[in-house]
Amino acid sequence: MSGLHQSETSCASVKDFLGLYLYGELSFDEEERVESHLDACLDCRQALERQRAVQSALDSLAIEPAPSLLRSCREDLHYRLVEEEAGGHSGAKRGWWEQFTDVLTGRSGSGWLKPAGALTLIALGFGIARLPLPPTNGGGPTQAGMMEPSSRVRYVEPASDGKVQIVFDETNQRIVSGNLENPKIRGLLLSAAKDPSDPGLRAETVEILNSNAQLAEVRNALIFALLNDKNAGVRLKVMQGLTPFAQHPEVRAAMTQVLLSDVNPGLRTQAIDLLTKGLSQDNPAQSYDRQVIGAMQELMQRESNAYVRQRCKTALESVKASTETY
Amino acid sequence: MAQKTGGQLEETALIRAAQGGDRAAFEQLVRAYDQSVLRMAMNLLRSPEDAQDVYQEAFLRVFRNLDKFRFDCSFHTWLYRIVTNLCLDHMRKRKVRKEEPTVVATAEGPLDRMDAVVEERVDGNPQRFLFSGELRKRVKEVLAELTPRERMVFELRHYQGLRLRRIGEVLGTTEEAAKNCLFRATQKMRAALGDFV
Repeated sequence: MSGLHQSETSCASVKDFLGLYLYGELSFDEEERVESHLDACLDCRQALERQRAVQSALDSLAIEPAPSLLRSCREDLHYRLVEEEAGGHSGAKRGWWEQFTDVLTGRSGSGWLKPAGALTLIALGFGIARLPLPPTNGGGPTQAGMMEPSSRVRYVEPASDGKVQIVFDETNQRIVSGNLENPKIRGLLLSAAKDPSDPGLRAETVEILNSNAQLAEVRNALIFALLNDKNAGVRLKVMQGLTPFAQHPEVRAAMTQVLLSDVNPGLRTQAIDLLTKGLSQDNPAQSYDRQVIGAMQELMQRESNAYVRQRCKTALESVKASTETY
Repeated sequence: MAQKTGGQLEETALIRAAQGGDRAAFEQLVRAYDQSVLRMAMNLLRSPEDAQDVYQEAFLRVFRNLDKFRFDCSFHTWLYRIVTNLCLDHMRKRKVRKEEPTVVATAEGPLDRMDAVVEERVDGNPQRFLFSGELRKRVKEVLAELTPRERMVFELRHYQGLRLRRIGEVLGTTEEAAKNCLFRATQKMRAALGDFV
């Protein structure tokens, strides 16, 4: 298609262009020719009405996503963003070291910084290479290249001959495998669940621990993570793992604390769901939990998120409890 | 250079704040566009799961690459470029693999995934009522027969209301090429639906 030409104003060619005409996407000249033809041709005017009807039919097929789908998308995105930030993948401003490593690895968009970064690296390498190193415990000299990247310098001390003595930790990696009945494996996992530097590791660890939450030691570690982990995604995973134990007093106490103090509205909502699972207006003697009701009434007073407030109100009304405190 | 409106200035300030690491500003940007992104993905892919995938991936890409956004085009064009590329990938893959049924088995019994969307009601309008049923089926069929590019241009023009010039910018092509795509799409529609109306 290259446009409606002067020589093509036959009925067939005009009908071909009626769709674009209705969208207002013809050039001034093309539109002029179509309109002149329509003025004189009843058949094409009827075709135009049919085209209009087709386009109206298409309007009726427009899909409006359900509000619950949009809400779910927003919640998922929120958690993914928290994880991205924890993993340092933000495209927003970052620390000098991240920017520097970006330059070295070519991730930075600023091309002129690359030579500067490379020069800095050469200068650093030159400096490190010239640094005199003390003998190791075994007596042999230690080369700079033998230091593992994960080494951590504990302290430095100037020596009498102008050299410097450095004490550093050396980390060696090992692979161990076993199931959670093995106390050593369990101990390593419980320690990984608290690793402050890696939320991804904590999330994976929590997933494994979740399947063994029947063990009190594991459950306590999960409760600790629920109340202390800085990453909302990790806390959410923990909450999923603790769901089957929602009736345990220590889990309920932790959920109540989440309800009243977690900064994340998604987690506060989940806490409402879990805490109200056992509450029933039909059997209040068995399941009426004054502490939970009290916490939700307190939440009604202080909650700023409209959605959480609504969920809390619905939960209180379902057990015929007042939504206010007196 | 055209003067910026108040809304554009506000958006520019939001983008700059988000580039500086302000996540609240980023989430505000998301809120400004996410409904239309989800609607477009839903209209094109007709699957809540695929639409959700596109939504997540699009905004994560924006988040990861926001520092590279240099205001060479509008944020809307930049975002839609990402979204349309993701949707085109999905549609091309779908052309290759066997089409998934919309009805899936769940614990509560069979569920039509399209029930997760609220379609426009016919509201008792007799003309619209006639369009439902067989015509609706035919429209769905003809939309599925369009090539991914034709489908995309048609979506952007008909449902998103973008002008062809803008569509060309979003898809990284010329206005003329976008016009050709729309022309072919409307021709196919007319051929398939003309006798219904």
